[in-house]
Amino acid sequence: MKRSFIKSAVIASVIAIAAASFAGCTNKAGAANNNAVVGITQEPAIFDPHTVVAAGDREIIFNVYEGLYKYDSKGNLNPCLATDVAISDDASVYTFTIREGVKFHDGSDLDAADVVYSLKRAAGLLDNQDGTALVQELDSIKDVTAVDGGKVAVTLESGNTELLSYFTTGIIPEGYDNCQAAPVGTGPFKFESYNPGQSVVVVKNDNYWQKGLPYLDKVTFKVCADMDAGLTELAAGSIDIFPYLTTDRANQLDKAKYNILSNGSNMVQIFALNNSVEPLNNIKVRQAINYAVSRKDVISVTMDGAGVELTTAMSPAMGSYYDTSLDGTFNQDVEKAKALLAEAGYENGFDITCTVPSSYLIHVNTAVELASELKAVGINMEIKQVDWATWLEKVYTNRQYETTVIALTSDYAPYDVLERYQSTASGNFINYKNDKVDELMGKIPSIADTKEKTELYHQVLKLLTDDACSVYLQDPTTITAVSTRLEGYNVYPMYVQDMSQVKVVGN
Amino acid sequence: MQGKVGYFVGKLVELLVTLLLVSLLVFAAFSIIPGDTARIMLGPDASEAQVNLLRTQLGLDKPLVARYFSWLFGILTFNPGTSYAYNMSVGELISQRLPVTIGMSAIAMVMVVLISYPLAVLSARKPGRLGDQVCSVIGHVLFAIPPYVASLLLILLASSLFSLVTVGNYVAPSDDFSGFVGCLLLPSFAIALPKIAMSFKFLRSSIIEQRASDYVRTSKSHGLSDLKILVRHVLPNSNVSSITIISIILSDILGGSLIVEQVFNLPGLGRLLLSAISRRDFPLLSGIVFYLAFITVLLYFLSDILAAITDPRIRLK
Amino acid sequence: METVKRNKYRSPEASAFYMAGLTLLGIVVITFIISLFWTPYSPDATDASAKLLAPCLEHPFGTDNFGRDVLSRVMAASKYTIYISAAGVAIALILGTVAGIPAGYFGGYIDKGIMLLGNSIMCFPGILLALVAVAVFGASVGNVIWALGLVFAPTFARVCRVGTMEIKELDYITHARVMGVKPYRIMAMHIFPNLVPQLLPATVIGLANMTLFESGMSYLGLGVQPPDASFGKMLSDSQAYIRVAPWLVIFPALMLVFYILGLYFISEGLRVNLAKGGKR
Repeated sequence: MKRSFIKSAVIASVIAIAAASFAGCTNKAGAANNNAVVGITQEPAIFDPHTVVAAGDREIIFNVYEGLYKYDSKGNLNPCLATDVAISDDASVYTFTIREGVKFHDGSDLDAADVVYSLKRAAGLLDNQDGTALVQELDSIKDVTAVDGGKVAVTLESGNTELLSYFTTGIIPEGYDNCQAAPVGTGPFKFESYNPGQSVVVVKNDNYWQKGLPYLDKVTFKVCADMDAGLTELAAGSIDIFPYLTTDRANQLDKAKYNILSNGSNMVQIFALNNSVEPLNNIKVRQAINYAVSRKDVISVTMDGAGVELTTAMSPAMGSYYDTSLDGTFNQDVEKAKALLAEAGYENGFDITCTVPSSYLIHVNTAVELASELKAVGINMEIKQVDWATWLEKVYTNRQYETTVIALTSDYAPYDVLERYQSTASGNFINYKNDKVDELMGKIPSIADTKEKTELYHQVLKLLTDDACSVYLQDPTTITAVSTRLEGYNVYPMYVQDMSQVKVVGN
Repeated sequence: MQGKVGYFVGKLVELLVTLLLVSLLVFAAFSIIPGDTARIMLGPDASEAQVNLLRTQLGLDKPLVARYFSWLFGILTFNPGTSYAYNMSVGELISQRLPVTIGMSAIAMVMVVLISYPLAVLSARKPGRLGDQVCSVIGHVLFAIPPYVASLLLILLASSLFSLVTVGNYVAPSDDFSGFVGCLLLPSFAIALPKIAMSFKFLRSSIIEQRASDYVRTSKSHGLSDLKILVRHVLPNSNVSSITIISIILSDILGGSLIVEQVFNLPGLGRLLLSAISRRDFPLLSGIVFYLAFITVLLYFLSDILAAITDPRIRLK
Repeated sequence: METVKRNKYRSPEASAFYMAGLTLLGIVVITFIISLFWTPYSPDATDASAKLLAPCLEHPFGTDNFGRDVLSRVMAASKYTIYISAAGVAIALILGTVAGIPAGYFGGYIDKGIMLLGNSIMCFPGILLALVAVAVFGASVGNVIWALGLVFAPTFARVCRVGTMEIKELDYITHARVMGVKPYRIMAMHIFPNLVPQLLPATVIGLANMTLFESGMSYLGLGVQPPDASFGKMLSDSQAYIRVAPWLVIFPALMLVFYILGLYFISEGLRVNLAKGGKR
């Protein structure tokens, strides 16, 4: 009797716990609402439009701040807070006409003084600044002044026809310096809250200058630990939009619940070779590595085939600036690779390390595939995984590495893509040096004629490929899962999430 | 009485010295981590001037010893500074995440006690019988499965068998407390499993030992029922040694929760810790590590004291 | 039964544990030994045209998302799993005995100091300490081994200390001391050999626990580095494919559980023997 009492007590408690375990976890999403949840995998850090650098931060504040110009989803640069721009013949003075009737999130009106303040702050020209530009590319600004009729004149140290794309930098109210804690811009959404490690919430800007936009009342950017965590959340219905998936993962989703969008990302995934270390300083070795690699297999393994093969430093997504004649320069040819290695004096191959950031699965996987392919030509590549912090310091900043795999992101502007290959550029972490490239890159900003400029960009790309400065792998396709209850989500050829056009069509 | 007070004071001194050592270990470890915090915060494209400015603002250019003492003072006054990465008070960040970690640990601990105690009592009634042996074998198998593997299997099970969503539906305790407990049940169960096995094994053998002892035999001959003997004599006496086991289990559970919350995508201390590691957020990192160690030290201390109160033999030492 | 009875230190219970333990462990160890000489494919060789193949004749355990042969990788993984746990335990054992025996032998301040250090290490939840150590020094097999060795050293030190305190009261040790034998000689020649029966189960359990820790660290990306494989690393890598390619999870999980369970059973056998042997 007693025994059976204890027994049933045991069984009851076990069952109760098991049942409670399952019962507690019901799906809470899906209630009728006019909100959307976007999954992000990088912890947001900087909300100041002038100090922001990480792509993961930019994609959020794209909805909060606006610049004088703004990109659309096709990659076109359109007037935004400016209605137009007049560029002087020598491209040293840009005069913007400021749009009227625009209100900041704090209710104040946008005027020329705000623009002057914002651009000066970005260029480091305010009285309390030391003259160093917060937005490095705007360092060449000499002065910003308000001129009659709601116009703002920006004077440069020297002519530069390539600067317009950098005037996308955010405009903030005059004298405002608290953007990190409480962002105030003119964008379609107002910043509401940041919950570290969990979410960033933005809400509808009712006074947005583009009438009728945005459609959503609230957008939550929810932090997911990694791609796989995001995938499980998608399957659970607790997020609506999740960018940067791989095909095989996207295929696991319910087609009735999610639309899968794919688009070129305008990223350049590069197997970076440090041009100043042995034996990679030998052009024959770099060419050999280029021939040893199968870009197709890399794309197959890392993106399940969803990527565009690259042979040069620019993605075909850049349109006419991209040089199609370079396509297929380095088709995999193991024999040729071996022959080149022998010519360079490495017929028995060599050992090399590849330092990859562990937080990016795609790059780690790429390194694994590359190591396997390089083995076939006798190169022994050891993979060293480091965290993002160490990667930034050791590889990117101090350039203490042999090879690495990373994706280079840029604005939708050719100059921004190629700027880093100048021998003195801070982004030239592959230590590439070619006087001809320096000369061409120095010349481009002073040229106004688009055709001539395009020709010069083609020359730079050709030089980079001829020098086999690194192994360009792929422009990985951005695969985004969007809940079928939403409509109007556009994939940009750069790293942003534009929520202003998104609307709820079903719940 | 004298001995008892002396013992407690001795333990207290030990606690304080241990904490000091822990703080030194933590600080030393994080002072030699490679990685420039300012550079990490600003990202790769920031200029050297931006980085230098930030470094000065954060006080990273001060000497090491000065940094240790200002850190120690802060951490002891529960004011461990401002997180570099989040630009928020470390105390606030940790207390935001604490509910998940503490909640998970507490639920797991309750599960351990609720499941292992009755099972151990049952098993120990007739050691060697089929039921007992089955429990023991299952216990060993559970012991051998890492909690995160158990989590994966539980998620798969819950989603395919019951089509229940178990991931990513975190509910904050302030919003809905029962929902909060609900979403922590499965992860807690995953952490608890191997510890249930451990506690079961330990309790079972200590109950068997106690039952064989003279006083239980005497009670039995006096006509006390099985249940009464169990509740009045066997369990309390096994409890003495199980206090120690429980404090070990709690510390393991705390550690286990750091990993399991990754699988279930819960906003606990583990994710905060990993992000602090990868962003070289020294105040945050040292805060988390120190306070977790602090909790563990306190647990051990309390278990020593409890054991001393309940066990006369220790008191005599 | 007869043979069992004749053996003074073997109970049938222990024999059953040994049998089960050695069988499970044997599977993993034999796999390991074969892998030293031969694997069906190179464990790191990728093949984009043979991705995620279900188990078939050419690939008995299937292939992974790189088109690598899972059987070959499981074989290679046994190497890292065994190597890390064995090396980690060796370090913990050495540190533990070197600290624990003198602590128990001399007592007093030496004991207090050593135990205080040990206690402060044990104050960190083990996985936390290992994670931080690897985060500080970088993720590599060597660092994982050192971190695990350090985390587990206090456990061995405790076993040694308690054992030493008992043994040093024995007559022959007192005798040796009176005879003027040097302390380090007494500790090395007389005390240490007597600790072996107590250290053995601790060592076996240590191997199992280290494997659990290593797999947890690999799950967080702070353990074995790609393309190398350990059972834990393979499991965490295949998490995303658990629905579409369950063979990626099943085989390493089985091997991992075999290894840990085998060790637990053996330690259980040792414990039973020690208890029974002690009573006689």
